[in-house]
Amino acid sequence: MIPFIIRKVLVLIPMLFVISFLIFLGIELMPGDAVDFMIPPDALATISQAELDVLRAELGLDDPFLARYGNWIGQVMKGDFGYSLQSGVSVRDLLAQKLPATIELSLAALVISTLLGSLLGVVSALNKGRLGDHVLTVAGMIGVAIPQFLFGLVMIVLFVFQMELLPVGGRMTPGNEAFFQRLDHLILPAIVLGLSMTAGVMRYSRASMLDSLSKEYIRTARSKGIPEWRVNLIHGLRVAMTPVAVLIGFRLPILIGGSVVIEQVFQWPGVGQMFVAAVRSQNTPVIMMVAFFSVSIVLTASILVDIATALLDPRVKLS
Amino acid sequence: MKKLSAIVLFLCLAAMLFAAGTQEAASMPAAWEAQGTPLADVRIRQALRLAIDMETIVDELFEGMAQRAVAMTSPGSWLADGLDPYSYDPEKAKALLDEAGWPSDYTLDVVYYYGDQQTVDLMAIIQQYWATVGVKSSFRKLEGDLAAQLWVPPADRKNGPSEVKWDLAYAAVAALSENEFYDRFESTASNNSSIPWQSGLDEKVQATRATADVEQQKAAFKALQKEINAHMYNIPLYHQLSFIYTSDALDIAGSTLGNDQFSFEKHILDWKIDRADGMLYTNGGPMEFYEAPAVNPGLYLYQELLFDKLVNADANLTPTEGMLAKNYSVSPDGMQITFELRDDVKWHDGRAFSAKDVVFTLEYLIKTPGLNAVALNTFKSIAGAKEYLDGKASSISGIKVNGQTVTLTFSTLDPNALLTFSQWPILPAHLLAGSNPVTLQQNSFWQKPVGTGPYKVSQTVLGNYAILERNAAYYRSGNGNVKKIFMHASSENDSNLVKNAESGRIDYAWSKSVADAQSIGAIDSMTVNPVNIRYTRVFWVNQYPHSANIK
Amino acid sequence: MSSKSLQRKMDRLLTLENQGKLRTSTMNRSVRKLSANVLALVGLALFLLILMSSLAAPLISSYEPNAIDLKHRLSPPGEGHLLGTDQIGRDIFTRILYGGRISMFVGLGSAIGAALIGVSLGTYAGYTRGVLDSAVMKLSEIMMSFPQIILVSILVTIAGQSLWNLILIFILTGWPSMYRMTRSQMLSIREQEYIQALQAFGIGSVTISFKHMLPNAIGPIFVNITLSTAMFILQEAALSFLGLGVPLEQATWGNILNVAQDLNILRNAWWVWLPVGVVITLFVMSVNFIGDGLRDAADPTQVG
Repeated sequence: MIPFIIRKVLVLIPMLFVISFLIFLGIELMPGDAVDFMIPPDALATISQAELDVLRAELGLDDPFLARYGNWIGQVMKGDFGYSLQSGVSVRDLLAQKLPATIELSLAALVISTLLGSLLGVVSALNKGRLGDHVLTVAGMIGVAIPQFLFGLVMIVLFVFQMELLPVGGRMTPGNEAFFQRLDHLILPAIVLGLSMTAGVMRYSRASMLDSLSKEYIRTARSKGIPEWRVNLIHGLRVAMTPVAVLIGFRLPILIGGSVVIEQVFQWPGVGQMFVAAVRSQNTPVIMMVAFFSVSIVLTASILVDIATALLDPRVKLS
Repeated sequence: MKKLSAIVLFLCLAAMLFAAGTQEAASMPAAWEAQGTPLADVRIRQALRLAIDMETIVDELFEGMAQRAVAMTSPGSWLADGLDPYSYDPEKAKALLDEAGWPSDYTLDVVYYYGDQQTVDLMAIIQQYWATVGVKSSFRKLEGDLAAQLWVPPADRKNGPSEVKWDLAYAAVAALSENEFYDRFESTASNNSSIPWQSGLDEKVQATRATADVEQQKAAFKALQKEINAHMYNIPLYHQLSFIYTSDALDIAGSTLGNDQFSFEKHILDWKIDRADGMLYTNGGPMEFYEAPAVNPGLYLYQELLFDKLVNADANLTPTEGMLAKNYSVSPDGMQITFELRDDVKWHDGRAFSAKDVVFTLEYLIKTPGLNAVALNTFKSIAGAKEYLDGKASSISGIKVNGQTVTLTFSTLDPNALLTFSQWPILPAHLLAGSNPVTLQQNSFWQKPVGTGPYKVSQTVLGNYAILERNAAYYRSGNGNVKKIFMHASSENDSNLVKNAESGRIDYAWSKSVADAQSIGAIDSMTVNPVNIRYTRVFWVNQYPHSANIK
Repeated sequence: MSSKSLQRKMDRLLTLENQGKLRTSTMNRSVRKLSANVLALVGLALFLLILMSSLAAPLISSYEPNAIDLKHRLSPPGEGHLLGTDQIGRDIFTRILYGGRISMFVGLGSAIGAALIGVSLGTYAGYTRGVLDSAVMKLSEIMMSFPQIILVSILVTIAGQSLWNLILIFILTGWPSMYRMTRSQMLSIREQEYIQALQAFGIGSVTISFKHMLPNAIGPIFVNITLSTAMFILQEAALSFLGLGVPLEQATWGNILNVAQDLNILRNAWWVWLPVGVVITLFVMSVNFIGDGLRDAADPTQVG
């Protein structure tokens, strides 16, 4: 087992190097650089290029490409992720500020989509082929088929402006910073994000519920005279949930990228909002770190899934 | 590698498709051909303006919340009378185009650099207007290094050829002083990429800077406007307004509202807010940092409230009485300014403010890249500034301190010097001395700035909100009750402004967006106050010889 | 000698015939199962309706999609405009029709482009294994380790915003999943006996993989193409919202919908955004239902 894990991790390292190089190269290929975005376009005409070149030099933007990459990777290995070109704040501090917000939103959405999705999936499976099945499938699908930002905006109009039930956006208000005090801020974005992920879980749980309902032991249970609802719930559901759990494991890393649009709609101060701003202003260290960080999460999660599968399933060969 | 070659392949294919589509016979020789571009012919430039129904665009698209432009200068005492408005006249436009021999197979390459809906809508409208007089045009949004694509002048300022590829560039010109509108018409201007040297034009531009007398300045500007208007060296389209939004909960105590892109006396210490906690809600809170006062000294409310200037300004941005200076005086020839500083001013951290801070700020900001051209010009006009910048002197010799008195001696006249000192604030020497002026914005100071202003930073949650609180030690007082100022985090273009206003969480804010003004105007508890600003939308017309970019 | 080669020929024919029969029979069963799936049928009908009306746009609407009419901006449905006009007086119904052409082209074109690359690589590499396979596999692993929206945003900034760039980027980011899916199909098919028979006859690996194996994997490939189409259409709209999509002057569904960001229009001019929002939603749903239907139909474990 240990050599298996070590091997997996060893493969990961060169991969991360290659990826970091590719992202760096990609940013290099972007037209312009961060300095072009520090001055508003209207004012650009009045500022001399020579002045801006001084700033470029000071920020290390005019070094040769490979030198900058070498510099960056050297710093990263020392645990220093660089500084935002816009504000000079260390990227690690930025991430430490923004990541909790994104994780909070994503986890809430994950909980909503899992509960709702598996519930709808099971109910749908029990009504397979009947009207209820179709209605639920269509309903589940709507969440994923509506463009997220439109869904978000319509929800704001309904729940914030018409019914005046919830705050319009942001993560907290001053003096109300504890989790339960700012729960009202979380509700709308989490629901919109959650509903957009429900259909996938629902589809999966419906299929695995159908699968397990056709298994031998269910028939045995039925033949023993156990009431139908008990058979369905206790036996079917328990088995059906296992692959859903695996599915969720796979979805976890996607959540970092999944909330980009929602964070924008609801002024949620998370990684996604920071990333969009960084892409728009070509803030290299921030783009690098968000991309690199999300890739690392995805790769690490996939190794964890591999290891878990290896532990659970004796058929997977470790050699 | 695969990606790259695929992109190249695709581009080639696309180019071939375009090339195949627009092959047509050449037209007969026209007068402009000797000049290397049809746009060098004044009749064609006039026709392009005559074909656009700016009146209808302003009335309908902007719902009247903009002003049609006849010059860079907006209506008022700085605008000449009797300029030709070039009102919508498609027939005359067609006649002029025919007369000048407009090549009907030419497709104008029009560039713009804003991606907002309104700009795109306007571009679509203008494209249709031109199409109806037989002018084909193609619009594209520029990406990347804008300065290099837009403002590089040719080596030969008279004959070109052009260093930029476009035919017309849609741009906004924001000006703190009138000079910012017109300096770029000079053939030596570093940002004049489109207007070749013309006999007498440079002299007319220089005349506007040659005097400190306001009436003489106005006369010079008016003469210049007439010249530009007759020859249509650029095509002014409209003056944008700014809109200041105030809520019913706020009483601004009779203050006059003005150009909020910059600082002006709002008497905020007298404002009354009808909220139990004395909190005033606004936007513009820092996303990642508080913006340093370099290119924009007063774009955000916090810049204005955290820092004081030497001189105060009124709603028209005209310098008024002293602020950090108890009083000041300008010598009759305008070449010397003396500031007598207050001695009762403290920084937010308790340190005393002194003349040292003033000297430090001037010597520091002059080295900050991206400093607004108006301020840079003032600082560079101070005697000894050049030697200081060249490293030949360790200080600017034209700045003299005597106790609490600072005297500036200028080597060249700068008619905008007082304007500069009424907008660019004084920064704390004790916190910034020794830091690198080039990376001013990257200094950690801008995570929690310390100023001398009427409000100070209380709490900052970057990207969410920030709160300012009243500075109890401020040297002036007022009878208002605004204890705290809550700022929703946003950039200059706040896409959440309307949502926040709608939910009752905006008491004072401003924007230049007509869409915002329309939406907020519909909210019962909000008032929209339109304000004239020096902000003009124009087409720059590339009159240097260049071949068609779209073939 | 001659009898041996004749025998070989006959054998090949026999295999081909068997295969051919096998294919037609699964097709039949798939069609039968698909037609029993109500949602898939509704989806197909909707899909065809939206596709056909967009293609026939000039026949359906007499307006030009870019013709402006400033005096009649934001007029509600009726008065000669079936779905009213937008903020510069363009006919919305017409723009949805014409916008559909571009959006569907982006969605379908990107999905098919990604499939062409992913499936051909997957078919060949999945059959031959070897260096090519492990190299492409690593590359796909790298591409797939990025959250989609993050990779697309970076690529859009590199290439610049344009319709063709967007399609290219969707293809670049979309092929790895096609590749992996095809490859896994190939890996299981190549263990089947008829492949060993073909190999024994000395048939080239290109012929075996593309002519004899690929047709048996076509079901899941179609499922993947439909689901990718839906995903790309939604992504186009999302990028539009983030300001990273097709330039706004081109009428795509995403760009038409983007106007809903203006709260004034969102609240007071529903006809500008609601119809196009409904069309996008219906289209994405219809494509998803078709995909689900195809998946069920292709799944041999489900009895139809």
